Amino acid sequence: MDKLSHEEKRAFMTGNEAVAWAAVAAGAEIMNGYPITPQNEIMHYWTRLAPKFNKKFLQTEDELSAGFTTIGGVLGGKKAFSATAGPGTTLFQEPLSMAEMMRIPMVLVVQQRGGPSTATVIYSQQEVNLVTFGGNGEGWRIVYSTSSHQELYDYTIKAFDAAWKYRFPAIILGDGYQAKMRESLLMYNPEERGILLVQPEVFVGKPGLPGRDRPADHLRNAFSVEEELFEAAMNIQQEYDKMAAEIVEADEQQIDDAKVVIIAHGVVSRAAVAAMNRLRAKGHKVGYFRPITLRPFPEKQLQAVAEKCSNFLLVESALGQLARLFKEALFNVPIKSFQTIYKPGVGITAEEIVEHIESHG
Amino acid sequence: MRIIEAYVGEYASGKSEIAINRALSLLGGELPVTLVDLDLVEPFYTLRPLKRELEGMGLAVITWDTKDVLGFGETGSLLMPQMRWALQREGHVIFDVGYGVSGSRIFNLLEGIADSELKIFAVLNASRPMTANLKDIVEYLQEFEQLDGLINNTHLGAETELATIYHGVELCAAVAEVMGIPVIATAADERFRAQLGAADQRGNAILYLKRYMEKAFW
Repeated sequence: MDKLSHEEKRAFMTGNEAVAWAAVAAGAEIMNGYPITPQNEIMHYWTRLAPKFNKKFLQTEDELSAGFTTIGGVLGGKKAFSATAGPGTTLFQEPLSMAEMMRIPMVLVVQQRGGPSTATVIYSQQEVNLVTFGGNGEGWRIVYSTSSHQELYDYTIKAFDAAWKYRFPAIILGDGYQAKMRESLLMYNPEERGILLVQPEVFVGKPGLPGRDRPADHLRNAFSVEEELFEAAMNIQQEYDKMAAEIVEADEQQIDDAKVVIIAHGVVSRAAVAAMNRLRAKGHKVGYFRPITLRPFPEKQLQAVAEKCSNFLLVESALGQLARLFKEALFNVPIKSFQTIYKPGVGITAEEIVEHIESHG
Repeated sequence: MRIIEAYVGEYASGKSEIAINRALSLLGGELPVTLVDLDLVEPFYTLRPLKRELEGMGLAVITWDTKDVLGFGETGSLLMPQMRWALQREGHVIFDVGYGVSGSRIFNLLEGIADSELKIFAVLNASRPMTANLKDIVEYLQEFEQLDGLINNTHLGAETELATIYHGVELCAAVAEVMGIPVIATAADERFRAQLGAADQRGNAILYLKRYMEKAFW
């Protein structure tokens, strides 16, 4: 047995478990990992599932090795993935950059913890800079920021498909709260829903002589001269832009008559929606906008919101990392007001957002 | 009579919630009640945010306090001295035992365990995917060295329906028969009290739960 059973059913679990099950559902074959809280249970759970579903696991000596062995697995034709957090995400930048340059699909799940450095093992939204533009180069990654266990499941499956379809590394950005909290979700086998999973292919060691029996594959992360890199970079950027239009995602609610729009991503967007609903019940015209892909960022969607309402309250468990992406997207767009709640490494509740809007307008 | 109980089981099966509710249900008698957070793997997290609230309600709670562990980080396995001697306390003692089968191998660290009347109950949520059918549940529970009973805690969080609970009752009855241990109770959220009454369809007592662990959230 290497696939999920036919029965679709709701199950009660932690976010880390949801990721491990989703990786099975997405057809992942091997996880290469190095332990770090709060993602450990992805590894623990994967190793419990592995013998049941005929999967493999490799524990490496650090995150650099976890990243490069994941790439090795992919080059060998396997759907390989890894998971990490915090300082591990820092170390992962080198394999991620290599995957960007060589156009190697890989999936990395990041459960954000406090930073910088070891900080806390618990929670933050302080890895946005790292996952979007953390490597050397141009940030050619796909980043999905999830807000629930169902989304962890759905977007993990999506990340595998996007990575293998477009050949860019794909990151699932969760956090320690999503990792550890418990809620129910619907588990399903995507293929039984008619979702065609992209099948992995062997990248190196294909049969036949390259150039004679088949076209040669150029998997390169090193270039001799500036012009050569320039041409490669411009081609990749063009393909990234083309992909961006197809995969960019955002969620928005109650924008049309809004006087204030709350901006949030990930688990904090749950507090934003709850705050919006409570304020609406009291007669305040509040809307909400949430980027689901942080990279590529839903710029056009946000600009369309700004045309209707440009009084923004941006809320994040970091000191302005989402705000940086937000400002970039609205460069040269006139906005009326911009307020923030920044709480690096600390959760944000609906009550705090309600209180802020009621006292600041 | 003095009650000494430990709640064990699959990760996220509901051990802590049941241990808290069970301990609170014993308050009001002549004996004091102690709740012990026996988690050596992540010792600083489970009950810590609830300690003061539970103490305010009358429980003695043995768990780490934030001020005691500043700077400890991920220290690794650590047994709080008061936990080692918990069985020497007067009154009822309820243990919340973290981390599944390996976590349950902790009891040899407790002073006086050999002479105690400790009952170990496995908490089971059949909506957890690794313990969702008879075969998997029996395989899992057989790894425990001692089990004196089962608690059916089958639920789907906010999406729980009566049918979810009933399903767990039947599955637990089958597990109990195979393993030769009794079902002690069915646990259910307070909101089902009007529908469930005093016993489930198999006649097991219902332990109604008030949710505390939502505040722990990690």
